[in-house]
Amino acid sequence: MKAATPMKNRTSLTAIRSCTLCLCVLLASCSSIPMPSFLRNPAAEAVVYALGPRDGFTSPLNGSLKPACPALTFESTDFKLTSAHQEALHSLAQEMLKNKKSRLLIAGYTPPNLPPDHARSLSERRALAVRQRLIELGFEAANLQTVGFGNDFSPSGPSSDVVAVYRQN
Amino acid sequence: MNARALLLILPLLVCHGTRAQAGVLDKMRGWVGLGGKSRTEEPKKIMSRIQVGTFSGGTGASAQQTLRQELLDSREFFVADAAEKADYIVDGTSSGGRVTGKLRDAKGKEIFQRSYAAPGLDENLKALTDDVIYTITGRPGLATSRIVFVSDVSGKRQIYICDSEGRELHQVTHDKHGAVAPSLSPDSSMIAFTSYRSGFPIIRLLDLNLGWERGVTDTPGSSFGSAFSPDGTHLAAVMSFIGNPEIFVSDLNTNTAACVSDSVGAPSSPSWHPDGHQLVFSSDDGDGPKLYVVEVPKKVGDASRLFRWRTGYHFCTDPEWSPDGRHIAFTTRTGGEWTVAIKPYPNGGVHVVQAGGAEHPSWSPNGHFITYVQHGELFVHDVRSGNRRSILRGYGRITEPRWMR
Repeated sequence: MKAATPMKNRTSLTAIRSCTLCLCVLLASCSSIPMPSFLRNPAAEAVVYALGPRDGFTSPLNGSLKPACPALTFESTDFKLTSAHQEALHSLAQEMLKNKKSRLLIAGYTPPNLPPDHARSLSERRALAVRQRLIELGFEAANLQTVGFGNDFSPSGPSSDVVAVYRQN
Repeated sequence: MNARALLLILPLLVCHGTRAQAGVLDKMRGWVGLGGKSRTEEPKKIMSRIQVGTFSGGTGASAQQTLRQELLDSREFFVADAAEKADYIVDGTSSGGRVTGKLRDAKGKEIFQRSYAAPGLDENLKALTDDVIYTITGRPGLATSRIVFVSDVSGKRQIYICDSEGRELHQVTHDKHGAVAPSLSPDSSMIAFTSYRSGFPIIRLLDLNLGWERGVTDTPGSSFGSAFSPDGTHLAAVMSFIGNPEIFVSDLNTNTAACVSDSVGAPSSPSWHPDGHQLVFSSDDGDGPKLYVVEVPKKVGDASRLFRWRTGYHFCTDPEWSPDGRHIAFTTRTGGEWTVAIKPYPNGGVHVVQAGGAEHPSWSPNGHFITYVQHGELFVHDVRSGNRRSILRGYGRITEPRWMR
């Protein structure tokens, strides 16, 4: 009976060591384990940039503005950017960033079948999502303005569920 | 079905109080997570009997007849004939369109005597009707109430105003690119709206009596969805200048604004609780708009509680608190079409008021009616009886009606 005690102690010591090692490995790998989406706080993901003064920006209602890229079409009532949007914005950034002073007005539109006030907010939110991506691609935040027209006005083009990016001079 | 599932369903079945009229699915939605006894059904109150007595003077006969009709239309009283007993008697004088009305109780004791000297006999009698209703019932009358709405009848979206019968129709805004999202101040003297006159959506105030107009917000991004606080001193609205659309409350005296929401999505349509301490609004965080309630801090730095208010529906917009604060009306979607529904606050069953494309509900000042639009037509719906009638049709596409609060 007496001889069995050190053996028992040794076994429990080994178990504690193994547990500690596993815990250390787990903690070390925590940063590389993606957190499930429902636990993530979307607000913490990116810095949101406030809009600068609107002086000098022209509305598409006051004159015909030249689009900087083909309008970004949204299929669902979502405001998240798809890979097609990301590609289009990447190409736009490559072209426009040659001129550091280029300014853009990002205008959101929605189809007429949505409740008007929700449509205004959704279109503005989509325009802000596009602006956020353009800032991440290197644009100056002060050179990007947004407007959400909802379904109060229709854009030129076949789809009314779009975000249009207009050049400003 | 196992015992645990049965235990979960039983309380829901016991607690439901829905009066939804749109089929089993809607009723089931009403049960889920609602609980509590529905407060939609109120005990029936006995109507007071009122008699319209003689009005002397040149326009007296006409005044007597019109007042009787106004009181009948209000459906607040049983209007008794001359030979019948009544709890109240209203009589007076009328000459040249002016009216002096006197309200007495059954014993002949005078309750009030007031003179009305607005240009027009009808206008004076409507004011008298509302005074009689308010004095006897404690609720505001609808005879002088107004509904504002947006119509594209002129080719651009502009704001119009009419009475609760759809008459006395006037165009309010003549903005270059249009004006939308109107909201009437509690005393009906001012309209807050979203103007596109600069090409960008900004919120402006228009004084209906004096005619002056001023901007409330001219911030970058968009501003829209304004709603007057019950005391008329503050304006809740959506602004996006901080880089994200959020609900702000602006003090109209100091022109300062405080953010009260914490959204990552698209908030819209704030509406005040009649106590002025809470706001309900819709917000879409990427999976469809839902309703949220936020407490408005009394002073800067105070903590406020923000929570989701569940309706059982996935898509909810345009919420509006009833004048007594006991219900919220909102737009939702059933069977792929817009539907106006009401739900007691904080708990109770959902009651579908009108399906088939009805949207953007707004309560009458007495809380008995709801106005909404259905396929561009303006309706007034009696919440108590379920009867409804179209008050304006063929006037372009009507959207965003708001009844005076």
